[in-house]
Amino acid sequence: VQPPERPLCAEEWSRLRESFQSPEIFEEVMLNNMVRYNSPIDVAKSLLTHVAKSNGDIGYNLLVKYLALCVQQGKTSEICDVYDILKIRFKILESGAYNLLIRGLSDSDQWRMALTLLEEVKKVTVPSRSNYEFCIKAAGRHQEMTLACELYHEMLTKDLVPTLDVLQALFDYSRGMKDPALQKVLFGILLYLRENQIYPHKTFMRSIKLWFESIPGENWKGHLTNIKDSGRCPVCNHQLEDSELTEEEYNNLRERIIRDVIHGTDTFRKTSPQEFEAFEAFVENRLPFDIVIDGLNISHIMPRKVQCENLFEAVNWLAKDHARLLVLGRKHMLANSSNWRREIMKEMQNKADFFFAENISEDDAFLLYATLRSGKHCKFVTRDFLRDHKACLSDSMTRHLFRKWQRGHQIAVSPSAGGKHINFLPACSYDCVVQTTGDTWHIPYKDFFEEKYSYQIPRKWLCLQQKY
Amino acid sequence: MQTANMLLKKFVRCSAFSFSIQHGVKQDLFPLSRALILSPCLKEDNSRSYSEKVDLDAWKEVMKSGLREVSETISEPKELSSLAAARETLEMWRLAGRPVPEKLSEEQLKAFMECPSKSAKKKYLKYLHLKELYKKNDKRKMDEKRKRRLETQERASEAEEPKKNPFVCLWASSMDKTYSWRVAQSMIFGQPLVFDMSYEKYMSVREVANAVRQIVLSEGCNRRSVDPFHIHFCNLKDDSLYHKEFIKHYRGAWDRLLITVTDQCYTDIFPKDKLIYLTADSPKVMKTFDHDKIYIVGSMVDKSIKTGVSLAQAKRLGLETAALPLDKYLLWNCGAKNLTLDQMMHVLLTLKDTGDWKKALEFVPKRKYCGFVNKPMHELKKTLDLVNILKLGKRPEVLQKRFADNYSKRLTQK
Repeated sequence: VQPPERPLCAEEWSRLRESFQSPEIFEEVMLNNMVRYNSPIDVAKSLLTHVAKSNGDIGYNLLVKYLALCVQQGKTSEICDVYDILKIRFKILESGAYNLLIRGLSDSDQWRMALTLLEEVKKVTVPSRSNYEFCIKAAGRHQEMTLACELYHEMLTKDLVPTLDVLQALFDYSRGMKDPALQKVLFGILLYLRENQIYPHKTFMRSIKLWFESIPGENWKGHLTNIKDSGRCPVCNHQLEDSELTEEEYNNLRERIIRDVIHGTDTFRKTSPQEFEAFEAFVENRLPFDIVIDGLNISHIMPRKVQCENLFEAVNWLAKDHARLLVLGRKHMLANSSNWRREIMKEMQNKADFFFAENISEDDAFLLYATLRSGKHCKFVTRDFLRDHKACLSDSMTRHLFRKWQRGHQIAVSPSAGGKHINFLPACSYDCVVQTTGDTWHIPYKDFFEEKYSYQIPRKWLCLQQKY
Repeated sequence: MQTANMLLKKFVRCSAFSFSIQHGVKQDLFPLSRALILSPCLKEDNSRSYSEKVDLDAWKEVMKSGLREVSETISEPKELSSLAAARETLEMWRLAGRPVPEKLSEEQLKAFMECPSKSAKKKYLKYLHLKELYKKNDKRKMDEKRKRRLETQERASEAEEPKKNPFVCLWASSMDKTYSWRVAQSMIFGQPLVFDMSYEKYMSVREVANAVRQIVLSEGCNRRSVDPFHIHFCNLKDDSLYHKEFIKHYRGAWDRLLITVTDQCYTDIFPKDKLIYLTADSPKVMKTFDHDKIYIVGSMVDKSIKTGVSLAQAKRLGLETAALPLDKYLLWNCGAKNLTLDQMMHVLLTLKDTGDWKKALEFVPKRKYCGFVNKPMHELKKTLDLVNILKLGKRPEVLQKRFADNYSKRLTQK
């Protein structure tokens, strides 16, 4: 039903209500539609008046819906009135009403009331991140940056993940200020992006750039650039951090892979203890490898070709510079079949080491183990994004390590031009995260807000340098 | 009061004035200032002759005045215990129209508060709310039924004509006796069927409860079948969650059930070469039902699908495994290939009696498959695509991928 365009009197409302198919929810449906069509607020008022006159009372849900309409249209005085009424009638409010109130009030000159409301929410439950978001933005808008930073830190201590919007707002509102404490907070945000491997989008990047350039007396200059495979910034000629893990991180990651990915809750789910032992012994005897290949994955690169020929081509290509190769496969590859011809398999086994797992075992886990065991120089080849293995790791710290290691060590197969030959993309030699040397910052960014595949790394960078 | 209001309005067009006059300026100094802000938008309305009659802010007065005395007693600041506060919040959620049950027991409230996250709390409340709705619905239906029965009885007593029936009426109790006799027979001569109760650590409390419910259903349909299995519950420890749930369901009947319950493993009871573990993850597909083998069903409900748990169990014990030939006989549509325990029981019983896969796989839920495979695969694929495009409006590439996932290359080429 479309809500009426002008306020109606009591008789008109009751007539409408009777013509509605289920009169008991008429008011709710009507108010919902008013919010949807953004009806004038007087229409809603006339409906409430009708309800109040006929029932002597207005239900909580109707009040909240009316509040939503007021918030949508930014009617501050009405919001305050509804809040007064709610406070009189109900001992506490629920989160929906609080959300609306905070949102509505933070946008007005009554924004300090939003802060008191936030305190009220804290008494009952943990405020949502959007509650904090509106309060922080309101504080920022009124140049109360200390307050905004306090709220931001409070939010972090409550394990709430801030939206990129809030972070961007903090940069926007502190433009042109010379305040060391504030600067520290903003650098903290950049480090937060680094630690969690978050990439800002274009508009956020622009806010960061503008903030840096606006710091009085520090003379920052920002440039947008693409960084080449070598990892050298074309603007300031600075070499980016490489993607190597430290010794400790590396060992930590290896142990966690064995514990969480290979064994997990039950070793039998992915392999069996005997098989894993056999594999360990096999790897120990032939260490170290330069490249570990997921045989079955690679054999499906070109679906038109016979599987063993695909693998053969890949092995030949990778063995060119005398690298020590390990190919992981399953036992069924050894049975002479149309897809796996014995002669070709024989020939490949001369060029690379092969390990064949049981047909029902998971070879990916072995791939990770063999690569990590061989040392930092060892790379691996698969088209798999390894998301399910990352998910097996129990804490986010290790997951970030895994992603970083994967970026630096996975040789990807490029979508081949023409589909004739296999092409490999070398692993990224530099680490794609926010990084600084004190007088330079390099910040990778995404073109659009929506790009969010975790395995995709941005190619575009913001280079910031301080000129003395 | 309304007439007085209208009268006043004729004198002063400003609602703030009428408001303060009604309530006394002293009492309501606070809202006065706010109402003054509102007055301009009221004046705009005056241009319309219609809305002149409607006092748009009248509802506020009603809301503020009606419960003034009560509110003063309510708003006394007093510390609530956390439980009472939670109850209070829930009441507000209910008023806001969220799915929240009307009544909550003390334990449920505690369980609610122990939920680790906001979404867990929401889910738990929704679950309780739905449960309450079902219960209410059932009660309503029962009442209606009773009413109808009473009415028919009254009518029957009016008619008063004794019916003659050549057969003795078979009541439920005598049926039960026949069933029990059959099951007792099967306990001596019947083919064993094992339920493996070793998955408690993989399941949440609710999943265990669901699993037990499904087993109870399976036991029921086994009892009523012509040639029942001899059911074994293996690895069932006393005082485990499973055990508690079973007692909850069967109460006194638990000790009189005609099944074998043991905390031993099936490998200790039966020869290993006779055992076959049924699991959807198995690479081997069951071709026929073997009357000499002992089939094992894992009593596990996994709402978040945990792949390979039962396959791991079979691997550890070195047992043969098998999966139902779902893809061979059914054109799979959506859903996981693991079936509930009672569906499994129906399938196995039918196989045992008839050996007919088509009949047995009737018990797979209809939503999971599009039909039986009776034509060459590529023709089926065409119809399936057509049906899905019509039904879901999905793009053919998506469907192709799904089809490819379901059916290996080998199958489609044939």
